[in-house]
Amino acid sequence: MTHAQTIDKVLANIDKVMIGKRNIAELSLTALLAGGHVLLEDVPGVGKTMMVKSLAKSIGASFKRIQFTPDLLPSDVLGVSIYNPRDMEFEFRPGPIVGNIVLADEINRTSPKTQSALLESMEESSVTVDGETLRIPQPFFVMATQNPIEYEGTYSLPEAQLDRFLFKLKMGYPERLAEVEMLQRAEKAVPIEQLEPVITLEELRELQQGVSNVNVDDTIKKYIVDCAAETRTNPYVYLGVSPRGSLALMKACQAFALMRGRDYVTPDDVKYLAPFAFGHRIILKPEAKYEGITTEEIMDRILTKVNVPIERIRVR
Amino acid sequence: MKETKMDRKLLIILYSLAFVLLREWLLPVMALTDTNYLGLFMVFIGLSFLTSLLSFKWWITLPVKILYIFWAVHFVFLNLIFFTRDSLSLLMTDIMSNLSILETGDWEGITNPFRTILFFVLLWMTTYLIRHWIEVRRSILLFYVMTVVFIAFIDTFSPYSAENAIFRIMVSGLLLVGLLYILRLSEKHHRPLKTGVYAAISLPLLFVVVASSAFASIIPEKDPAWPDPVPFFKSVVQGGQGLGTMTATSGYDPDDSVLGGPFTPDHTVVFEAKVPSKQYWKIETKSTYTSKGWEKHPAESEKQSFSPGDPIAEDQTSLDGNESEQVSASLQIIESLPYVAYPYGAAKINTRPDIVLNRRFDSEQIWATKNGSELELDSYEIEFVEPKYSMKALRATSMDDYDASIDFSPYLQLPEQVPDRVRELANSITENEESVYDKAKAIERYFRNNGFTYDQQNVPVPREGEDYVDQFLFDTKRGYCDNFSSSMVVLLRSVDIPARWVKGFAPGESKLNDKRERIYEVTNNEAHSWVEAYLPGIGWMPFEPTIGFTNMAGIDYDIETSLDDPQSPEMQEKEREEKEKQTPAAKPENNSGGPTGFQKAFAWVKSNVWTLVFVVLVLTGITWRIYFIRHKWMPKLLIRMHQKTSGDWETFDKQYKSLLRQLDRFGIKRSGGMTLSEYALKVDRHFGGRRMRDLTAVYEQGVYGGHIETHNWPVLQEIWEDLIIRSAG
Repeated sequence: MTHAQTIDKVLANIDKVMIGKRNIAELSLTALLAGGHVLLEDVPGVGKTMMVKSLAKSIGASFKRIQFTPDLLPSDVLGVSIYNPRDMEFEFRPGPIVGNIVLADEINRTSPKTQSALLESMEESSVTVDGETLRIPQPFFVMATQNPIEYEGTYSLPEAQLDRFLFKLKMGYPERLAEVEMLQRAEKAVPIEQLEPVITLEELRELQQGVSNVNVDDTIKKYIVDCAAETRTNPYVYLGVSPRGSLALMKACQAFALMRGRDYVTPDDVKYLAPFAFGHRIILKPEAKYEGITTEEIMDRILTKVNVPIERIRVR
Repeated sequence: MKETKMDRKLLIILYSLAFVLLREWLLPVMALTDTNYLGLFMVFIGLSFLTSLLSFKWWITLPVKILYIFWAVHFVFLNLIFFTRDSLSLLMTDIMSNLSILETGDWEGITNPFRTILFFVLLWMTTYLIRHWIEVRRSILLFYVMTVVFIAFIDTFSPYSAENAIFRIMVSGLLLVGLLYILRLSEKHHRPLKTGVYAAISLPLLFVVVASSAFASIIPEKDPAWPDPVPFFKSVVQGGQGLGTMTATSGYDPDDSVLGGPFTPDHTVVFEAKVPSKQYWKIETKSTYTSKGWEKHPAESEKQSFSPGDPIAEDQTSLDGNESEQVSASLQIIESLPYVAYPYGAAKINTRPDIVLNRRFDSEQIWATKNGSELELDSYEIEFVEPKYSMKALRATSMDDYDASIDFSPYLQLPEQVPDRVRELANSITENEESVYDKAKAIERYFRNNGFTYDQQNVPVPREGEDYVDQFLFDTKRGYCDNFSSSMVVLLRSVDIPARWVKGFAPGESKLNDKRERIYEVTNNEAHSWVEAYLPGIGWMPFEPTIGFTNMAGIDYDIETSLDDPQSPEMQEKEREEKEKQTPAAKPENNSGGPTGFQKAFAWVKSNVWTLVFVVLVLTGITWRIYFIRHKWMPKLLIRMHQKTSGDWETFDKQYKSLLRQLDRFGIKRSGGMTLSEYALKVDRHFGGRRMRDLTAVYEQGVYGGHIETHNWPVLQEIWEDLIIRSAG
């Protein structure tokens, strides 16, 4: 079975639960394969949790959920050392962060201290408590959600933290027909409970291995850099994309190409993924906000402006 | 907002530099054609650049420019600042009649106002082209190179001295090219430059241009190794024969008893004239035509002697109400010239006081004597009033008005050998004309469009019993000034208009002397002959039948009379003249040399210049058309090109790229930010099917994935051919 077929199986499985959200499923899986994390931003009730759950179930991974509240402490996320009277020793009890797929719900509701504890472990893939470091088992995939509507009593993530997410996605409402179908399915049973794993963790690791074998031509690398450079010179952008952003986009493109059954990246991959990978990494100037120009529009303009390479160029 | 502001500032600089460059084109044209009013043309160019700078809409600029052109023509030719109803309708009639002339292809019949309008239109197109080069192409190198070549050419082959011009061109041209290049670079890489940055980048350019021009002006100048290339070219193409092998050469010769035969140009300078405007230099008139040539004057004749400074008795009666000022011409005689050459309207001749001047009444020759013996003057000054003829009076001339008291018989004389068909021709040319002036004008015009050619080589000498004029009018139709002028005299006499044959020199080439005064250099090549006709109430008036020459008679356009005149002839303003003006003192007996290949080719080019221009225009048009519709024929060529090539990635790569270009020509455009698969989808939507996507998939695999080995090349080739054929339709 080829990589693409394996991935298709997973997506088909998610489709059983999530209707009309194939693109979000694909992007989430892309992030998972690329070893990145996803920030889902949308109003409650559009299926953010469902998406993560179905993904976790499909790959037979352990699923943890952390509901973030203002009084949540870092130790509630990472775990604590407890004194064991029988062994006369402190024993480390890992927190919910140690899992394969972690849903960090309403991440912007907790204090920056707890946020940074989470984000650090995301970046390092390890947990350090009381001088002890514990590797989090791979695959490790955090899907954080935040509600864009409520600002009261929230701590919005600083830019540096946002940079740790590979993608920032928006679910959006389902289409009418899709919503009707969703209701039909939910009439009889809760579909998510019946979801069976279709691939093993071992297979997932293999897929992740496959991603790094996807070829990114120098021409494409230059294109990615051109796009990143353009975000830095755009008159409406206050802060452009960091090199980490370019790197993230390249990784994502590799995973996406693998999903599409290719072993090379095309400019189309770059163009498709750039808004998700770059969108949360740029800060617009106040003028743009006053003129009502959104990040999506800016990304669209940038991608229209940057010339797509259609011939091989040697970049040396 | 900021960007456009910077562009505006930069554009002002760019347009100013272009203005300087374009001015360098105008200067020599003005200098060489004696066209004044440089300011008017410069204002027009400035206006054109200003309107594009301020990016006015076309519906503003178009009327403004047209209005300006009209006003300028109006101002130059009618000397009126404001439009009047009459002047406007005069202009309109003039344009209408010229448009019909354009249709018939009688290029020399175009009047000066219309020529000026055409020149304005040419300037207009040039400014538009420059605008395109600056604002769209961002590249002016072509124009710069053209300017340099043009000025170098003009400097080498004409009297115009481009010493300072080449300096100005170098500085402004290099700056323009350099500034545009920076602009082009910044656009190519999508890095808009702030004004300060732009200025900083331009600094080295400025430095290099200034430094190199300073260096160029400081270093000592070497004398040209090759002062005048023209004689060298000639000696090379004539195989080292030199110029002297042919016996008949151009120049003034008093003996015209046998005309005809080829001759060789002679560039020896006869005299130099310092005079404000172009003048015909008259030497003598002849009146007895012999069927072979013009008879010598009888030795004894009535003459008048006068001292330098005395007024010359003139029989011109036309100069009533003449507002022209008296001007003076000073001549330096370099070659031997037995008679005094004088301009029309000569009033006084000043020279050494010990000289006595003599003038024959019949031939109007003037010569100098000292103590009874003839001598040739080295230099003299003539005061003259340029004659002006009132159009109203000219139109009023009637055949019935000839003064019976004057004996015109010498000027109506015709030998018996002149065949009847000459008379019939003269009648048919003039029968529809009313005034004497119009009849004469009709004959003058006749030579321009009835298949006559100017030629110095293939001109025969009439055989025994043959008439020189008849042979030219009906058989050969090719010849030089003697043929044209003699024929006109005979035709005029055939319809009873008194006429005589005039010999002298054409105005010559102008150049500036050391004191920057305008000097006309008259060589043997300028020896010329023309016609004078006697108009009742006017007197003797010059006519110029030779094609390639322009009548210099100053005509005062009285508006009312010329309104109904569709053929308004030459205006007072002197205009460009063709260079080749030679009259032979040809002796037919010795014609051994024969024309060389170069001369043949030159003569051929000269006689067919309008045909050539037409052919070149048509060819340019066809080439442009072929280029324009290249999307139609290119695919077939491409298929043929690629038919034999073996199926591999290299071929496919080329084919795919040519397909992209072809589709672009076809009209399916790909913007820079469009990926190939997006474009393929667009193409497939247009043509249906999924051919382009199939090809693109393979291409993308090769370009981005490096998979160039295993493909079904013949199938791809077929798909490609199919698509490229479709894109031709």
